[in-house]
Amino acid sequence: MPVEAFVLPKSELGSFVAKLKADYEVFGPVAKGPKFVFGPVEKAEDMRLDYDTTILPPKKYFHQPEQDLMNFSGVADVAEGKKPVGKRVLFGVHPCDVNGLLSLDKVFLGSYPDPYYKELRDKTAVIALNCVKPCEYGFCASFNTGPEADVGFDLSLTDIGDKFVVVIGSARGKEMAAGLAPAAEEDLVAGKRALRACQHDMTRRIDVGGDLGEFLHQNFDHPVWMEEKEKCLACGSCTAVCPTCYCFAVKDMVDLSLQKGGRTRMWDSCMFYEFSRVALDHIFMPDRTARLKQRMYHKLTYYQQQFNATGCVGCGRCVATCVKHIDPVDVINRIQENPLPAKEVTLYRPPVKIVHTEVNPWEPQKAVIKAIKKQTADVNTYTFEFVDPQVRDSYTYDNGVFNLISIFGIGESAISISSCADENTGTFDHTVRAVGNVTKALAKMQVGDVVGIRGPYGFGWPMEEMKGKNVLLVAGGIGLAPLRGVIKSIQKNRDQFGNFEILYGSRTPDGMLFTDEYEEWRKIPNTRLYLTVDYVPPGVEWGHNIGVVTTLFDKMTSRKENTIMITCGPDIMMKFVVLDLLKRGWSPEQLYVSLERRMSCGIKKCGNCQMGPVFVCQDGPVFKYADIMNLPGGVF
Amino acid sequence: MAKPKIAFFKFSSCAGCQLSVLNIEPVLLDVLGAIDIRYFVMAKRENHEGPYDIGFVEGAVTSPKELLELKKIREECSVLVAMGTCACFGGLPSIKNYSGFSQKELEEKVYTELWDLKSFPAYGIDYYVKVDYYLRGCAIDLGELVTLIKSALKGIHPRFRFHSVCNECKMKENVCLFLTKGKPCMGSVTAAGCGALCPSLNRPCEGCRGPASDCNAASLARSFVEDLGLSKADVVRKFRKYAGNTPEFSKGAEAV
Repeated sequence: MPVEAFVLPKSELGSFVAKLKADYEVFGPVAKGPKFVFGPVEKAEDMRLDYDTTILPPKKYFHQPEQDLMNFSGVADVAEGKKPVGKRVLFGVHPCDVNGLLSLDKVFLGSYPDPYYKELRDKTAVIALNCVKPCEYGFCASFNTGPEADVGFDLSLTDIGDKFVVVIGSARGKEMAAGLAPAAEEDLVAGKRALRACQHDMTRRIDVGGDLGEFLHQNFDHPVWMEEKEKCLACGSCTAVCPTCYCFAVKDMVDLSLQKGGRTRMWDSCMFYEFSRVALDHIFMPDRTARLKQRMYHKLTYYQQQFNATGCVGCGRCVATCVKHIDPVDVINRIQENPLPAKEVTLYRPPVKIVHTEVNPWEPQKAVIKAIKKQTADVNTYTFEFVDPQVRDSYTYDNGVFNLISIFGIGESAISISSCADENTGTFDHTVRAVGNVTKALAKMQVGDVVGIRGPYGFGWPMEEMKGKNVLLVAGGIGLAPLRGVIKSIQKNRDQFGNFEILYGSRTPDGMLFTDEYEEWRKIPNTRLYLTVDYVPPGVEWGHNIGVVTTLFDKMTSRKENTIMITCGPDIMMKFVVLDLLKRGWSPEQLYVSLERRMSCGIKKCGNCQMGPVFVCQDGPVFKYADIMNLPGGVF
Repeated sequence: MAKPKIAFFKFSSCAGCQLSVLNIEPVLLDVLGAIDIRYFVMAKRENHEGPYDIGFVEGAVTSPKELLELKKIREECSVLVAMGTCACFGGLPSIKNYSGFSQKELEEKVYTELWDLKSFPAYGIDYYVKVDYYLRGCAIDLGELVTLIKSALKGIHPRFRFHSVCNECKMKENVCLFLTKGKPCMGSVTAAGCGALCPSLNRPCEGCRGPASDCNAASLARSFVEDLGLSKADVVRKFRKYAGNTPEFSKGAEAV
């Protein structure tokens, strides 16, 4: 089908925009000092269609710097925080930014579609403006994201001197173009030539002559990264101005009544030290080099691996905004001049799971605390039941997955489920240590109090894989909580599994969870429970092992043949559990680990849980070690 | 719940942070309804002895008398807040620490009556006592103050995030003062929370909120010299102005 094309003489731009104004709010590039920004447009003359680039990309109109998710008044009254928007037109969007929006679509409209983004996207028409002149820092030709937009617009314009060639991209675009004269053959030719000339003039390019992802993985430890780290100010400007960066933090804010308030998401940045911070101020990415690489790799390869979309559209804003002129093109060129020796690499491919929900994935369901059981001085097991009978009856989960527990006015916290997936009781348990704002607030609650819960999220333990095999369960501290369901499932369906051994370590005897259930677990046929602690305080009786959990490996009867090992505990414990078993000849294929990271969404959007190319919330939290052992930055 | 008992104290400082506290007009009455201000010499005639639930301390500690008082305050307050950059890092009073003069010379330069004067280098209050929360800035940000009060009332940690001012500046789509106008803006290494107040008014960030988390002051210092042509002395002055006592900004001052 030939393209449907029209012409818009520049002399008629004013009336064209005036006509749009009748139906739409119009936004376009306007001058701000010596730079440009997207802003409201009253008339065509306000716009500077000769602009090179804007300070912030048009993502600010869709994934807004601050977006209200929920409004609440106490726990009882919770409402969606959507703000009504009218129909809008974004006029003069360069092809890089058009492609940036298409990449954001993959994140926000794929699995668990985001209603706030969707609303803004649906209501906004995009009029692209193809580039007839290269901008100073752009390198869009590297990714085929410029100088011409081929999809993702309602109309696209190409400047051919005294007029624009107008190409229709959608039914909405066709309506907007009503009344324009059809383009003549020579107009189309002029447009093509202008774009070809621009492409020719683009000198900045990333071209590694092969797969960029593989190239980057091979050069993960290249000395160039240390040089860049010395320069990088960790200011996060690059991520704020990036048209495809989408990471955000979620925060609850209340007024002085302390009851009324809102839950808001706001742009965050992997360049920030606090990005991966969890309770007790543990930081998963404290090293600036790791953060710098996380950003660059996310743009240049992880995005592609995760969403099958371009992570970098070559707009050049990160270069233009960097006080230290850190430039992906320059970095890649310098690596290319002196690359590390090529080696075989496997790029991580996440498990494919697309969840389409009819309801707002941000909306927690009310759940009432049915029982509270004290486990240790600071750990309780809470039994929850959804208030809405329909939600209660339809709620199912797998062993090892998690929910987000939400206390309005304080926040949300990702907590694994500690009850058994095979026990259909209409209730479920969370075993929670009071360490952060949400968990401490939960510890103050009573039976009958109501919290918000959304989930379950992620992949749990490989129950199917374990059937017919021996199971070795290794847990440390609070890490026993997500494994308790497995123990109960094996107990319930004992004949489906082989030899079963539980190794559980804790810092001190009084830190052990579920102590009143050990007798019952020991009674499960063909099952052994080994306990160990790091330290026994004076005056405490302890008849079991002393030492880290791996010291139990010499005592256990489990052998590597036909066995699955599942482990959860602090990272440092799992690291040595895995190392020790690998040394004993176990295969990475039979080791499963459950990881913890900061999570603000649980639905692969906030980016806080990223570990290299992996999103722990949806690709995990339970991983087969073989799948992640080759991550460029390592696992533990 | 009983209203928490609040106290405001002042050491070596300009009293600007205390004055700002009185400037929270839009919510002042709500705040006063929620807390019980027991001690606030600038604002009240009647002041009461401790103990207090929350103590806000303004100013750096630079004399033995202040130090004794600070230790007493710490004992009297369940929660102690360093209010403003002087209390957090030493602030402007700490410029003297890096002036090259001895303490005696400084005393003689400033005061005529020296017989009763004892002073030592100026440090933030956490040099001497445990501090629970920090309200940074010269002067403090009132939004952060209100957030802190609300968090205290709710019994939660306010979780301030001290990433760079650049980020807030980008959100406002300000034209970059460093790159476009060649101004020595310290926003890239300075902790956010002010809403990029100065750059939004076309003035470069002075670093009054102290170092951003894991900032790279040495790298910015090199850019001040190499890209903007600042002298070594200028760079040192910039990094020693508000938070020269901090290891992060010291790296900036010592990089060139």
